Formats: sequence, C-alpha cells, structure tokens
Amino acid sequence: MEEVSRVFEPRKKPPVVALDGVSLSIPSGEIHGLLGPNGAGKTTLVKILSTVLLPTSGRARVLGHDVVEETKAVRPAIGIVFGGERGLYWRLTGRQNLEYWGALYKLSARETKARTQRLIDRVGLTERADERVETYSRGMKQRLHLARGLVGDATVLFLDEPTTGMDPLAAREFRTLIAELRREGRTILLATHDMVEAETVCDRVTLIDRGKVVATESPRTLGRVISRFQRIDVEGVDGAVLDQVRTLTGVSSVVEIDGGARIEVDEEGATQVVLGRLVEAGATSVRTSLPSLEEVYVQLIGDRGLEL
Amino acid sequence: MTALATTVNVMHHAFRAGLADYRAIFTWKSWLAGWMVRVIAQVAFFALIGERLGDDQKTFYLLVGNSILIAAVTGIFSLNMTTGERWAGTLPLLVASPSSPILVFSARGSYLAADGALSALAALFIAGPLFGMELPWPRVLAVVPLTAVVGLASYCFGTFLAGIVFRFRSINGLVVLTVTVLLMAACGVNVPLSYYPEALEWFSRVLPVTNGLLAIRGVLDGADTATILGNAALEAAVAVGWMTLALASFNRLASRGRRDGSLDYGA
Amino acid sequence: MRAFLAGFRLELRIIRAAPDAFIPLATAPLFALIFLSIVRQSGRPDLQADALMAPVLMTLWWIALQQAGNMITGDRWEALLEPLLATPANLASVLLGRIAALTCFGLISFLEVWIVGELAFGVSIPFEHPVALVVTLLVTAFATAGTSVAFAAVFVLTRNAYTFTNSLSYPLYLLGGVFVPAAILPGFIQPISTGIFMSWSADLLRASLKPPPIDDLWQRIGVVVLLGALSFLLGRALLFHVLRRMRTNGELATA
Repeated sequence: MEEVSRVFEPRKKPPVVALDGVSLSIPSGEIHGLLGPNGAGKTTLVKILSTVLLPTSGRARVLGHDVVEETKAVRPAIGIVFGGERGLYWRLTGRQNLEYWGALYKLSARETKARTQRLIDRVGLTERADERVETYSRGMKQRLHLARGLVGDATVLFLDEPTTGMDPLAAREFRTLIAELRREGRTILLATHDMVEAETVCDRVTLIDRGKVVATESPRTLGRVISRFQRIDVEGVDGAVLDQVRTLTGVSSVVEIDGGARIEVDEEGATQVVLGRLVEAGATSVRTSLPSLEEVYVQLIGDRGLEL
Repeated sequence: MTALATTVNVMHHAFRAGLADYRAIFTWKSWLAGWMVRVIAQVAFFALIGERLGDDQKTFYLLVGNSILIAAVTGIFSLNMTTGERWAGTLPLLVASPSSPILVFSARGSYLAADGALSALAALFIAGPLFGMELPWPRVLAVVPLTAVVGLASYCFGTFLAGIVFRFRSINGLVVLTVTVLLMAACGVNVPLSYYPEALEWFSRVLPVTNGLLAIRGVLDGADTATILGNAALEAAVAVGWMTLALASFNRLASRGRRDGSLDYGA
Repeated sequence: MRAFLAGFRLELRIIRAAPDAFIPLATAPLFALIFLSIVRQSGRPDLQADALMAPVLMTLWWIALQQAGNMITGDRWEALLEPLLATPANLASVLLGRIAALTCFGLISFLEVWIVGELAFGVSIPFEHPVALVVTLLVTAFATAGTSVAFAAVFVLTRNAYTFTNSLSYPLYLLGGVFVPAAILPGFIQPISTGIFMSWSADLLRASLKPPPIDDLWQRIGVVVLLGALSFLLGRALLFHVLRRMRTNGELATA
C-alpha cells in the first residue's frame, strides 16, 4: 500500500478521515497483524485491500495487482473473514452457506461439495454442518466465517476481528488454525484490537490509530515496549514506603488510592526493583497488570520520538 | 387507588404504548400516500369486477364489502405487533393483573381498530361516490360505529391468533396475509352468504366482519332496525368471544412458558 | 453462468427455509375461489378463465415486488453484500439467478388455480390456444424477472422500501389489468397501463383461453418481451450504479 487515504463524507456531517496516508508492505507468507483501537481504520483498510472499497487517494496492490483496476485478478485469490453475527444466511445450514460461496468462486459442483466437506471438518463443524446457522453459537459462526474465507483456496486472507466475542478457549483454537494456514504458504492480514492475539499469532504487527500507522514491529518488540509500561497495585504499605518508591528509577507515577496505591513504571526492569521494595516493606497484596492498548498508544503517540 | 382508577390508568398507558409503536411505522405522509392509495386501489380492484360484469348492484356490493374488509386487514395485522419480546415480558403481567385484561388489551389495540375503521370508512366514502354510488344520508352515519365494531372484532381475532402462532414467529407474515384473504373469501365480502354451503355459512358467523358487514349492508339497503341491531350485537359478541379465547390461550402460554422457559423466546 | 446457477440454487434453498416465500402460494388458491365464486354467482361462466388467471398474475407481481424487490435490501442489512462483492462472481448474475428461481416458483400458482378450479367448481382451464398460452406464460415470467431486477435496484436506493412494496401491490394489480382488462380503466390512466408489461400479458393470457382467434399475437408477445428487457436493462444500470456507490462511498443511500 502506498500513501493510501480514505475519506468518508457522510451526509450532513463533516468528512471523516478514516485512513491518512497509510503505507504498508506485507511479504508473502507472513501473518501480519493490524492492531488498533476501535475506529482506528482497520476495517477500512481491509475493505480497500479486498476490493470492496475504493481509496480516495493512493494505490494498493495485492499479489502485484492493483485493487482498483485489476479486481478480476485480485478477487479469485483472496478471502475475507469478517467477525460477527451477520454475513451468513442464517436460515440455511452451514454446509449450504459454504456451497453457495464455493459456487461463487467458480468451483464445479463436485469440487464444491468436496471442498465444503474438507473445510467443515477442518474448522470442526462436522457435527453441526447440517443445522441452521441461526442455531450456531458465536464461536461456531466464526469458524464458519473462516471456512467461508477459505472456500476459494485463497492465497491472501483478510481477517477482521475474527475472535471478537469468542470465549478464550475457542479463540485459542482459532489461532491454532490460523497458524496452520501460514504453514500452507498463505499470507494473512489480521485486524484486531486484542494485544495478546497480535502477539501470539503474528510475525509482524502494525499499530494503527486514527487512520495513521504508528509503528510496524515484530510482536517481541511490541511486547517489550508494552512490558515496559507496567502497573502495580499494592496494599498495606504506608506513605513513607511510597515516597521511597517514587524516587526509584523508571517509576513514572505513584498515586495513592483507598488503602493502597497504584504505581506506574515506564522502564524495563523497574518492575522487579519496585516489587522487591514493596515486599520488603511488608505489603499485604501486590498485583501487576499491563496497561490497555489505548494507554500504550497514548504513551507511544505522546512520545513520538521514542526509539523502539 | 381504586380498582377502577387503576384500570383506567393501565388502559391509558396501554393505549399510549400502542400508539408509540404505531408512530414508529407510519407518518401522516406515508399513511396517506402509501397506505390510503393502496386501500383505494384494493377497493377499486374489486369494484371494477362489478363493472366488468356490467352489474351496478354488484359493483356496489363488492365496493362495500371490500371497504369494510380493510378494517379487518388492519385488525389482523395486530398479530405482528403483539408477538415478540415485549409481549413475552408483559404477557404474564397482564394476565396476572387485577384489572380486567380484556379492557387492557382492547385499550392497547384500540388504535389499530381505530385505524382500521378509519381506513375502511375513508375507502367507502371516497370510492363510493367515485363509482357513482349514492350513500343514503343521514342514515349512512350509522355505518361509522358499526365499522368500529368490525375493527374491534378483527383486532380481537388477530390477538387470539397471536397467541397461537406465538411460538412460531417466523410464520407471522404468512398467517397475517393468508387469514386476511381467508376472511375475504369467507365473510360474505364478495358474494352473499347464501351462496356458501351451509356449514361454511355457520362458520363464517363466528368470524369477525361477517355479522358487522351484514349490519352495514342493512343500513345502506334500508333494512329494519331490529335486523341491523341484531347483527351488530352478534359482531360485538364475536369480538368478546375471541378476546376471551385469546386470554385463555395466553393464560396457558404464560403458565406453560414459565415451566419450559419459552417465555424468554426473544427475537 | 456459474454465478447464475449459484444464485438459483441459493434461492431455492432459501425458499424452502423461509415461510414468507409461500405467501403467494397460500393466497393464490383463495383468490381463485373468490374470483370464481364472484363470476359464477353473477351467472357469467364466460369470465371463469379471467378469474383463474388473475391469481397467477397477482402471484408474479407479488414475487417481483416483495421477494425480489427486497432482496438486495435484505442482504445489505445482513452484511451479505460486501463479501459478495469481494468474490469473482458477477453480482448481477447471482441476482438474476435468484430472481429466476423465484419466478419459476411463482408459476406453481398456475397449477394451484387449475386444481382449485377443478376441485371446487368442476371448472377446468380451457386450453383453446395452448401454444399462445405457454409462450405468454414464459415471456411473462421473463418480463417479471426483468422488472424484479429493476425493483431490487430501485428499492435498495429508497429510504423506506418496505412501506413502498406494501403500498404498490393493489395499484399494480389494477394498472396491470390482472383481472379486469386495463382498457376499462379511466382514460387518463391508460398510458401508464400501456407501459406495464403485465397489462399486455394479462390480455394475452385471457385471450388464449377463449375460442376466438388472437389478434396480433406475435406483435403483442414482442411488446411483452421488449418491456421486460427494458426493465431488465434499467435494473442492471441501476445495479451498477448501486455497486459503484457502495465501493466509492462505503455505504448505500442511508435508510
């Protein structure tokens, strides 16, 4: 993608810049994460790459073909997996849905049947394949979406928040499936707002916020960045101890709350030191947590010159 | 609060709730341009058959019958509005309430019955003169309350049906339209009751529209007051009868629903 | 072609799964009863053929308006349009396939009224001009399909499609001369009727069931085909417009 911009002009409202000069390059065979909060522009980006939406400016190519001019070349090779409850014919069975989409990818009737069965088994819907989609749980629908995305044997897959609303176990199984896909040589763009997901599945991750690319990194780097910003909630230490903690290097803030305090760190390694101090001082309860994605962004965007 | 005051209060709120539902679907413009155009077209469609037959009396017969039927169309439509989560929520409450459920239900649907009657009357008074029909003033004004009763009876029938199809909401549309055409076929709308086989004639007396239509035709043809009032009373009885059956079926629904959890059946 | 068949098969499955699709098939026999009893009670057996064909035409109109008309609108609400766009299949072909399935399904009403006529009144369909009848039915189905595409494309652009489709039913039955020939309608409405393929089809259908020879049969068939094709082309153009709008704006006309 080169300097792709997308401006929406809803009626009677000021224009919305969904994407602003986004440039991105994803080598084949990579699982690339697109990480950002809601409204960051992830879905817009996916739509543009999947030829469903036209960019306002800039160019984008999938497998070497321009997404605006060469849709005939792009569409047979891609698959989209949207999240959510919609996007399926809920009155039909899972199998019937897949057979329809298979036919749209110009498969013969026999191929369609065979591939549908393979996909149903692969995503683990064998037992419920012939029941109406309206009876499926969220996780099952999601798996059907994935099967649908694969029905054209896509070389490039776009997944838009595929595990939203899934329970953790189902989400984990889903991610295993995605890893398998990469082994088959497919290229995957995974849009998500789940940091853990981005970290565990992706080769590289692009952080996007308000239509702009913030950074493109490997998850390890991301992880390091994020783990720099840790938060420690402690109870049972008095003001004197907290004052001491305040002076430690890497501690960015100490805020006293009812009966305890919240300590924020912004340097690697600072957490251990702080924890050590607190335990020594006889803290009754200590808990660490990671900041939310939004909070990380605030830090990153606030410190634009930050070396990653 | 006295029981009466409570009842009136509940009825008032029920009416407002129904009206709000209604406003969500119709505006003045869409009612006039959309609904009334279709209504007049429907009545004209049948009246023109009379013209085709070259029989003025038949034309007026069809015109009157199909105008009044419009009241039933709206009334049966109530089936759509009375199923769903709201229904599941309020149903057991209403059935268990101290105020008379019949009055409460009637209040909630009265705007539908009113709309139906209004549409029917508008159709009659617009299409009638269009087709050269002479409406006997001031006698014809008696048609107004009679049409209102037909509207109410249809609403009660629609409410009863709502209870039956409650568990199969997907066939709502099918039931509404099929029942509407069924009424068109069975209630003396297009052909006199005497044309029906006897069994059907008896059955149709139990349906909404049939008796009210006879009363209305009586008014227009100058029949004697006793016959007219008799048919009107029958129509009112039909209304009460179906509403009673509706409540009985809701009672069963509510208790069965409590047992098997089907009352949670949402969208 | 594959896309057409995919749509055809999809719609057949949807029909089987959705009770609403059966509405016209449930009401057609009832209308046949109503119309037949009207003409018989008035002592006009010569109009029985008219009475029998009317429900068939009403069914076709209903399908065009309600089922086909709401097809794109419905899909859009279910987020099914965009994934469809991303496939290599031609959306117009898929749509046409679905509409073709519906129209074929609607022709079942012909059998229904035949059966009802026989069972209830001992009236059978008089096949006076069988070739004309079959050809008329086929081109009528074709024209209905074409008009359906136009409806589907227009309704997705309008704000309140559903009230639209409800309010157009009887006016179209009237203008289409479904029972009473359009010639009986007042003078100022005639030109509109002439532009509606159904009025020509209806006249032809009725004529094919009556003894006298049919005037200008093939010219009139040609008119039906022409009007149907025009609707189809209009629908297709609108459809392209709709899709382009979706790609450019990211959404269709707001509801």
